[in-house]
Amino acid sequence: MNELINHLAIAPILLPLATAALMVALGERRRNIKATIAVISTLVTIIFAVTLLNFANSQPPGSAESISVYLLANWPAPFGIVLVVDRLSALMLTLAGVVTFAGLLFSIARWHRVGLHFHALLQFLLAGLNGAFLTGDLFNLFVFFEVLLAASYGLVLHGSGTPRVKAGLHYIAVNLVASTLFLIGASLIYGAAGTLNMADIAARVPGLGDSERMLLEAGAAILGVAFLVKAGMWPLCFWLPGAYAAAVPPVAAVFSIMTKVGVYVILRLWPMVFGVEAGASAYFGGNWLLIGGIVTVAFGAIGLLAAQDLPRLASFNLLVSSGTLLAAIAVGSVGVTGGALFYLVSSTLAVCAFFLLIDLIERGRIPGADVLAVTVEALGDEEEDEKDGADPVGIAIPATMAILGIGFAACALLLAGLPPLTGFIAKFLMMNALFPTDAEAASTTIGPVSWTLLAMLLLSGFAVMIAMMRAGIRVFWVPLESTVPTVRFLEVVPIVALLLISATLTVQAGPVSRYMHATAESLHAPEAYVRGVLSTKRVKPQGQATGEGQATSPAPAKVDGNGNGTGNGNAPERGGQP
Amino acid sequence: MSNESLLLLALAIPFLGSLVAALLPTNARNLEAWLAGAIALTEVGVLSLFYTSVADGGVVRAEWAWLPEAGLSFILRLDGFAWVFALLVSGIGGLVFLYARYYMSPEDPVPRFFSFLLAFMGCMLGIVLSGNLIQMVFFWEMTSFFSFLLIAYWQHDAAARAGARLALMVTAAGGLCLFGGVIVLGYIVGSYDLDKVLAAGITVRASPLYLPALILILLGAFTKSAQFPFQFWLPRAMAAPTPVSAYLHSATMVKAGIFLLVRLWPVLSGTESWLWIVGTTGLITFVLGAFLAMFQNDLKGVLAYSTISHLGLTTLLLGMDSPLATVAAIFHLMNHATFKASLFMAVGIIDHETGTRDIRKLSGLYHFMPVTATLAMVAAAAMAGVPLLNGFLSKEMFFAETIEIHDGSFLDTLLPYFATLAAAFSVAYSLRFIREVFFGPPPTNLPHTPEEPPHWMRLPIEILVVVCLVVGIVPGITIGPFLDVAVASVLGASAPKFNLAVWHGFTLPFLMSVVALAGGVGVYALLKRFNLNALKLPWLSRGEQVPSDVIGVAARALMRIFGTRQLQPQLRTLVCVAFIAGLLPLVGEALMPVNPRLTPIDLAFAFVWIIGTVCAVATAYQAKFHRLAALIFMSGAGLATCITFIYLSAPDLALTQLLVEIVTTVLILLGLRWLPKRDEGLLKTDSSMLMRRYVDLTLAIVVGAGLAFVAFAVMTREHPETTIAQYFLSRSYTDGGGHNVVNVILVDFRGFDTMGEITVLCIVALSVFALLRRFRPAPESIGAPEQKRIQEAFDIEHPDRRPGETIADYLRIPSVIMRLLFPVIGTLGIYLFLRGHDFPGGGFVAGLTLAVAIILQYMGGGAAWVEDRIRVFPLRWMAVGFAFALAAGTGAWLFGYPFLTSMMTDVHVPLIGDVHLSSVLLFDLGVLAIVLGATVLVLIALAHQSIRTHRKPKPAVLTEEAA
Amino acid sequence: MEIILALSIGALTSSGVWLILRSRTYQVLIGLSLLSYAVNLFIFSMGRLRTAAPPILKDGLPETLANHTDPVPQALVLTAIVITFAMTALFLVVLLAARGLARNDHVDGREF
Repeated sequence: MNELINHLAIAPILLPLATAALMVALGERRRNIKATIAVISTLVTIIFAVTLLNFANSQPPGSAESISVYLLANWPAPFGIVLVVDRLSALMLTLAGVVTFAGLLFSIARWHRVGLHFHALLQFLLAGLNGAFLTGDLFNLFVFFEVLLAASYGLVLHGSGTPRVKAGLHYIAVNLVASTLFLIGASLIYGAAGTLNMADIAARVPGLGDSERMLLEAGAAILGVAFLVKAGMWPLCFWLPGAYAAAVPPVAAVFSIMTKVGVYVILRLWPMVFGVEAGASAYFGGNWLLIGGIVTVAFGAIGLLAAQDLPRLASFNLLVSSGTLLAAIAVGSVGVTGGALFYLVSSTLAVCAFFLLIDLIERGRIPGADVLAVTVEALGDEEEDEKDGADPVGIAIPATMAILGIGFAACALLLAGLPPLTGFIAKFLMMNALFPTDAEAASTTIGPVSWTLLAMLLLSGFAVMIAMMRAGIRVFWVPLESTVPTVRFLEVVPIVALLLISATLTVQAGPVSRYMHATAESLHAPEAYVRGVLSTKRVKPQGQATGEGQATSPAPAKVDGNGNGTGNGNAPERGGQP
Repeated sequence: MSNESLLLLALAIPFLGSLVAALLPTNARNLEAWLAGAIALTEVGVLSLFYTSVADGGVVRAEWAWLPEAGLSFILRLDGFAWVFALLVSGIGGLVFLYARYYMSPEDPVPRFFSFLLAFMGCMLGIVLSGNLIQMVFFWEMTSFFSFLLIAYWQHDAAARAGARLALMVTAAGGLCLFGGVIVLGYIVGSYDLDKVLAAGITVRASPLYLPALILILLGAFTKSAQFPFQFWLPRAMAAPTPVSAYLHSATMVKAGIFLLVRLWPVLSGTESWLWIVGTTGLITFVLGAFLAMFQNDLKGVLAYSTISHLGLTTLLLGMDSPLATVAAIFHLMNHATFKASLFMAVGIIDHETGTRDIRKLSGLYHFMPVTATLAMVAAAAMAGVPLLNGFLSKEMFFAETIEIHDGSFLDTLLPYFATLAAAFSVAYSLRFIREVFFGPPPTNLPHTPEEPPHWMRLPIEILVVVCLVVGIVPGITIGPFLDVAVASVLGASAPKFNLAVWHGFTLPFLMSVVALAGGVGVYALLKRFNLNALKLPWLSRGEQVPSDVIGVAARALMRIFGTRQLQPQLRTLVCVAFIAGLLPLVGEALMPVNPRLTPIDLAFAFVWIIGTVCAVATAYQAKFHRLAALIFMSGAGLATCITFIYLSAPDLALTQLLVEIVTTVLILLGLRWLPKRDEGLLKTDSSMLMRRYVDLTLAIVVGAGLAFVAFAVMTREHPETTIAQYFLSRSYTDGGGHNVVNVILVDFRGFDTMGEITVLCIVALSVFALLRRFRPAPESIGAPEQKRIQEAFDIEHPDRRPGETIADYLRIPSVIMRLLFPVIGTLGIYLFLRGHDFPGGGFVAGLTLAVAIILQYMGGGAAWVEDRIRVFPLRWMAVGFAFALAAGTGAWLFGYPFLTSMMTDVHVPLIGDVHLSSVLLFDLGVLAIVLGATVLVLIALAHQSIRTHRKPKPAVLTEEAA
Repeated sequence: MEIILALSIGALTSSGVWLILRSRTYQVLIGLSLLSYAVNLFIFSMGRLRTAAPPILKDGLPETLANHTDPVPQALVLTAIVITFAMTALFLVVLLAARGLARNDHVDGREF
């Protein structure tokens, strides 16, 4: 079983990679073949991710089995690179798969035609995301960050055109500097701690001398800045709205996971390296994270109210969710983190659906309709007459608009955290954790942090609601000449699917929140992770796990060539030649 | 059928109905009405089944686990009060549906309307039946949402939109406060379960968090029930279709706040703060609403303000926190629902028939619609609290309560007078309503000539009015039992004895009623006498405008301060933040080691870096106007870096750095041609620009110093005791089978990094390719470069030369050399590749070398010449490279080893003999192919841009299929 | 040696930072390249300095950090170099495209 899981662990990286390579081989045209392949491969990737999710969920939290470690090139940690599957990474893998799949389906209707190599880049992006979620090595994390960033650069520029290239330039410039910071931080940590494996770093922190600790903290802080740029924390987030608003809708939708990568890394590293065991550097930078998160929420809320078009509205929703997550993580309590994870999933799905929806809505509208609608709302349109006599009659709404309207309402409710969808549940979970009801936790006194976060959650929800309401009124109700958009079935499917997922999550809130809670527990008690990574043994020359091997092997035939030549047990003879 | 499932059914029915209603055809008015009516009736039926179980203060309860960990279970809980309220909701709902069937015009798309109404009814029942506070909030917010949709049902009407927006903003904001309040309350009690909360009254009131919880919850209730100072949204909501107003804004939604207050009365009431906050709010709202109602000229406006005032009255009653007052509150809640709903419907009919709701336009309608008029008058009388009508009874009880001493404060003593005054006002506006609408001269210039509405439209009013009368005359046997049930469930043991007699004798309350009636008539007389209705109203009367753009403008102003869309400020911030982040941890105790380990300084090395530094600074200085010079200086700095690596025994780095240097330089050279000419205009600088430069300069220097310092601090200390490097050194040969540790790390120990790195190369190549396909050069840079133009001109003016000859000549010698060099460099590349594992070199370096070989041909012979001779398929090379790398990695699986585990074997090949095969070699080959492919693709794609603008057909390399 | 290397890192960084804060896309490109030099040297310096050490393992010479330059930072630098190279290429092309579309080479696509 574990063997199978072990080879499954790398599948979410290799499969998209192989698919992308295949598409490179296919050249520029043959989009339909590529699309088909992409759909199949992404589906399989999701299946892998879900399998890993079930595996992670089946193990008791905190136990050594709760993580499964994959030693790449069969070198033990901390020397080789390891992939680690635990609840968190499995969750993120699944999320990434779903979001990518939604964007992919949507793009097939029209958007993948506006530029070259769309599918290859999307698969590369997926590979990069999955790699970033799986790897347990700091520098390998950098490499996968670059993979997913490079792919994202390509995707932001997909379709070219002035706005995209301009936004792309800013996006790339900022992120290149961020990558530079990543390198500085990572190498500084190596210089101070002498290792690159995350678990090993965590294990070494307590034993560091004072000056080494200072250097390591400096490295970690610089690293943190790099991550916070990705996560979009104020004041490092100005690139985000422009880039996301300029990208083609399916790409923007997939990017709803990109900010979460930064959040993920902080979730992964911060409690582990600077947890309670870290001694002098425990909770290092926590207050900055908290403040930054709150400020980001405020900034995002202002941006929401200032936004004059839907894409920017969606982008600022992303900022609000990032800020909320960062602040919630910074509290550093299991319950809040659990709620935050629920919120992470909920908001990602919502924003993804929203970006896709926006594209459909915008189609039917005259350019600049938004600004026009604002003025109409403000000054009231002249032909608004005293409706004496003729008693008013409602307007019949075409089915398409009805669907879009329902979708919009659903997204609004999700993002504002209003019932009946997951947004409400997620916010409730966080609040409940801040003001616990269960007896033993209830003894904890309620500090200013709890009140601040409570206010933050409520106010941000209010701001989002107002912004979405105004946008909704502008788009659907203000009488401006607009045609009913032509929408293809394939474009509605992903949106509906995403919303259905959140509906399911609402009904299944019990088990889901249990999973999230278990995840949070293992994040805040990293011993199991550290021990598991550092204690994993190399595969010894026996136990022909060929069956599993081929199960995920992209190119088994190739190796068969000299397979029989090498089959007889003399496989990797470490020190084969004296 | 068990009680549990029956309860669930009771809650589910409306939602199911709403779903069905939404799917019916647009014009199915009757069907919709039948559906909705049937649902309301079933609801009433189902509820009535529970009478026996709740009659004796019993509680029906059903629970399903939802989020048990967080104390949120889905609990349905039906006690007497909930039962009565639910009956009210569904009963009046039914009447409203019937009414709406006739009110809505045939063209209206009623499916939406009825489906929203039914959904709203469901949410309302959800609030009432909730046995868990969070669940109550859940439905609470949903009522806000659906009321928003219902108010804006006539969405093309700006007033409707504005009203809906305001209603949602206020009520949903209140809902969020309630959410917070409930969270705190739950924390105090330790559970959100209503039963537990109701049981924990003492703990709650004793808790230090009682006040915050109370205030938050009250904010929720007051916003919903339009209490001062949140009353302004209700009048604006009158833009809704009248059935909506009749249902939401008289009987149900606005009552949700009251419902909540009653629900939590046992828990929260009985403290000073409750008495003062609730009592005062109620009193102000009561008086203010009644006062302003007198000045409304829109009939619905009158009703809206009277609703506000009556809600205030109920709140005031609850605020007195005496059991009897609570009884009165519950009683009045029911009465108000009946007469106000009927009044709204009557007004709706008037509006429908006459086409206006303006009191000033209406008069003498009695002659046109006597029945409706009579009904409306009875209802209005009930509203005014005329004896023999239900309104009178609850008002009597109210008066009786006001006389009681509560805390003996100043306000408390004044309470009766305020009560009488407000009562007088309500008499006045009721009188005005009756007098001016139904009596007086026949109306002139009305849009329609009024007449009696269809009987079915009137039926709901008739029923309600009959209720008013019956309750008013024989309360004991009609409303009595219901009231008992409700009161018993709220007050439990402390439920007081009360008798619902019409006549208590000449008591003080009765006197107050008489005074109120007389006073009301007086006030109305005054109003008429001095024509006070004409005077401009106080600001409170209109819900204050919330123009949508104010928020937006303010927000945009803030964005300009706290945000930016320009790159420079962003990077500046980023650098600053990073620097501070890196600096803060370092301040504190000394960082430098006591005895730093220093290697002896080598002067030559120092000299190299003097040059290097000069180059760097020169680059920074020249990059704006002398791009080529800057490029050259940059290469100088690069070379210095290169030499450093050699000095410090890192040949691999030196080699790679050098090759990358070359390729990068070629790239940038190819790009320079598309950049604009030097623009003298950019030389001018103003003070702000200079300021910014100084800031940047300081920043740059500080950051550089910081990084240098950190590097120095690390370099001068010993390695950590245990560093992973040692492992690599000792295992490189024995386990990795290579002398070149760095290369072994790259392809074996950390081969996965290399995998990712070549992926990055490949991705970038693809992106660049895709972007360049859409490349549109600026018009001024499309033409041939200056030098080329000169050369061509030279050919033209010398008849003995063929055009283009000079260009051909001008690179002849170099191109010959480059062609000769091609095989040499190629061989070198292969050599570097093969020795990689043991000596400096490897797949990456080899790939770059080969790329250089090819690019040289391009430079020498030109794209056309090259592509006529060698076929270049970068994309395929990359694909092949991936195939190799993946194959090398996955091969290990066959033997049950993890990805990328290195495999080696010696296979015997005839003629050649034993050949040492290693998966590492295959992997490195993959690296080579990808590096070669990617580099060539980028370079060629860029190189082709200059030809493209001249040549029409696409270059061979850019279309793979062509080959 | 350490002091020299540190100073050179500083010089490269300063020039790089100065350039990326400028208003012309080409300056930013060059600045990023200079920064990458600085960062490569920085990473390398994290492994401390060894002069005149054999670049590869020699038989008979004990394989310890005392006799060899720390190989890990070298591997990291190699990866970093490659990635930086790729990104430079991408950024160059993007700035060319931006220049072509926006008609000027200002980082914001318009003169102020």
